[in-house]
Amino acid sequence: MAKYTETIDLYSDDGKLLKSGVTLDRVSPLVNPATGKIIDLTKRTINVNLGGIQDALKVGKLGKGKIKGRELDLPIMENKDAIVAKIKEMIQVEEGDDTEIMEFNGGKLQLVKVPSKRLINASTYDAAITSVAAATTFAIVDQFDIDAFNASTVKAACWGSYPHTQDLEGALVTSILTIPQNNEGIGYALRNIPVNHTVMMTNRNALQGAALASTLETAGIFEMGSAVGPFERAMLLAYAYQGLNANNMVYDLVKANGQTGTIGTVVQSLVERAIEDKVIVPGKKGGYFQFYDTKDPMLWNAYAAAGTMAATIVNCGAGRFAQAVSATLLYFNDLLEHETGLPSTDYGRVMGTAVGFSFFSHSIYGGGGPGIFNGNHVVTRHANGVAIPCVVAAAALDAGTQMFSPESTSKIYADTYGKIDVFNKPINQIANGA
Amino acid sequence: MAYKPQYGPGTSIVAANRRKQMNPGQKLEKVRSVTDEDIVLILGHRAPGSAYPSAHPPLAEQQEPECPMRKLVKPTEGARAGDRVRYIQFADSMFNAPSQPYQRTYTECYRFRGIDPGTLSGRQIVECRERDLEKYAKDLIETEMFDPALVGIRGATVHGHSLRLAEDGMMFDMLQRNVLGEDGVVKYVKNQIGEPLDRAVAVGKPMDQNWLKAHTTIFHSLVGTSYRNDTEYVEYVQRIHSLRTKYGFMPKEE
Repeated sequence: MAKYTETIDLYSDDGKLLKSGVTLDRVSPLVNPATGKIIDLTKRTINVNLGGIQDALKVGKLGKGKIKGRELDLPIMENKDAIVAKIKEMIQVEEGDDTEIMEFNGGKLQLVKVPSKRLINASTYDAAITSVAAATTFAIVDQFDIDAFNASTVKAACWGSYPHTQDLEGALVTSILTIPQNNEGIGYALRNIPVNHTVMMTNRNALQGAALASTLETAGIFEMGSAVGPFERAMLLAYAYQGLNANNMVYDLVKANGQTGTIGTVVQSLVERAIEDKVIVPGKKGGYFQFYDTKDPMLWNAYAAAGTMAATIVNCGAGRFAQAVSATLLYFNDLLEHETGLPSTDYGRVMGTAVGFSFFSHSIYGGGGPGIFNGNHVVTRHANGVAIPCVVAAAALDAGTQMFSPESTSKIYADTYGKIDVFNKPINQIANGA
Repeated sequence: MAYKPQYGPGTSIVAANRRKQMNPGQKLEKVRSVTDEDIVLILGHRAPGSAYPSAHPPLAEQQEPECPMRKLVKPTEGARAGDRVRYIQFADSMFNAPSQPYQRTYTECYRFRGIDPGTLSGRQIVECRERDLEKYAKDLIETEMFDPALVGIRGATVHGHSLRLAEDGMMFDMLQRNVLGEDGVVKYVKNQIGEPLDRAVAVGKPMDQNWLKAHTTIFHSLVGTSYRNDTEYVEYVQRIHSLRTKYGFMPKEE
């Protein structure tokens, strides 16, 4: 990894300085301890919806269907402590290791931190969900002395329709991560987290949500091999400026344009700042148009990425609706090019991403709003980690226009991860560790 | 502001017209008057005078989540009231219509808040909260961005923008939503999706050829200004193309 001398100042979601003079490498997902913790917990924590399992078994709701005659009326919640103790005993590798089970919603939700050893001594992150799903199944079977004819029903409640389906469809034991087979390519796992999950984990705070999404996207891009050599700096700059509110740029742009501004006025504020900071300088002058040049396209790209985020917040925030995010990604960048003569975010790839994303997120091609997208999707993956954070910010600002609202698809993530600092306040935690 | 916003390249009249439409500091010339009720009729989303249906409770009635961005960004009137999201869609003839799909989006991005525009080859849609839409639609219809003959308000069956004009100068519309009356005034007899209206809505007389040529934002080598003659615009496009490719490969300048 390269050594960096250039520094950034990190600011909170309400524009207060958290840490100044942070060298760029300190926010790298390979270096920052808070980011390391986010990635570690993303892989290691598994949701066990105990209350849900009890309710599902009572009516025979298994996988994504309902099987009459397979109902099991088990007092799981009454025996919750015993079941959880059994799960812990089975999951833990050795006494005093980092196994932990946290309770939420009066014990209806259990968040199991699988011991690191299970992942170290496995080839993929699957080892977390398989061990917890199996342990939950057996703990219930054991607690209620379930026979061979009914144990499969308990298994179906915990594992969903697996192995009839490739993933654990309809399972009540879940992970933030989907299974590796669902990843578009190598290293996509951390980019395969739906926008709505992120919105809920950060309790609908737009900038914290964007930061969490940006952190996961950036870590994913490192994992994909796209942040090596010169591209590492490019990636870190875009991440810091767009995702971590570096130099308070996103906050300042939103503040300047929040009351009366538009996508276009954010373009103007950004260009003004880039000129002031000497990131771009006047170049050739045509008959009318002043072309701008840059000596540092990576830094310009980071400015453009921050502007894209600010424009999203200004436009989708004014309408309090998520749907405009694709248009904002597209036209903020288009207008930025028309204002400077320089390429926009990710050198045009955000615009390309946005065209497809508009199509797919407006029910033109089937259903689905922005909230159910992730960075692993065929239309969103091409922008180097700078599109999905904006989608999260937009979905967080939505006041209730979406059919696929975060509350309807991902409420469980607010009730669990949303209570953990490193997930719900990533900007502050990452700055602490920087 | 330390720098002067440019609103895009180009030395031609077309480029200048584009800039004029985009620049929110420039007041768009009001060419015709259409009443609020007329706008509601053409849009066809609600009956004139009826209450605005809502998508969710007003913001004041729901507890907005704790988020500094929500404090910084003021919701539009429609968002505050919880209005539904509705749309207006335009088709612009290629024969010197005053606006065109990309241009509409650029203009709206500079002038309107809380919008979701979508640009297609022959049509442009903008979605937003219903009461914001009615306000924006009035601007889009009453000003120099509209021409009764060469612009169609078409929510469905939009086809016609690239066809030659009818003998009376009207852009072809398979649903015949707008008709040129004997008095020379164009009237909408159907709303934007082609449902018959109880009464016709007049949107004024078509503008003459000279006005259109002086106001259009479309390059056209046969009936107007040729794109190739605007060398600065061509240079801009070529430059963006080259720099995207260059920086896309290696984002460095030696």
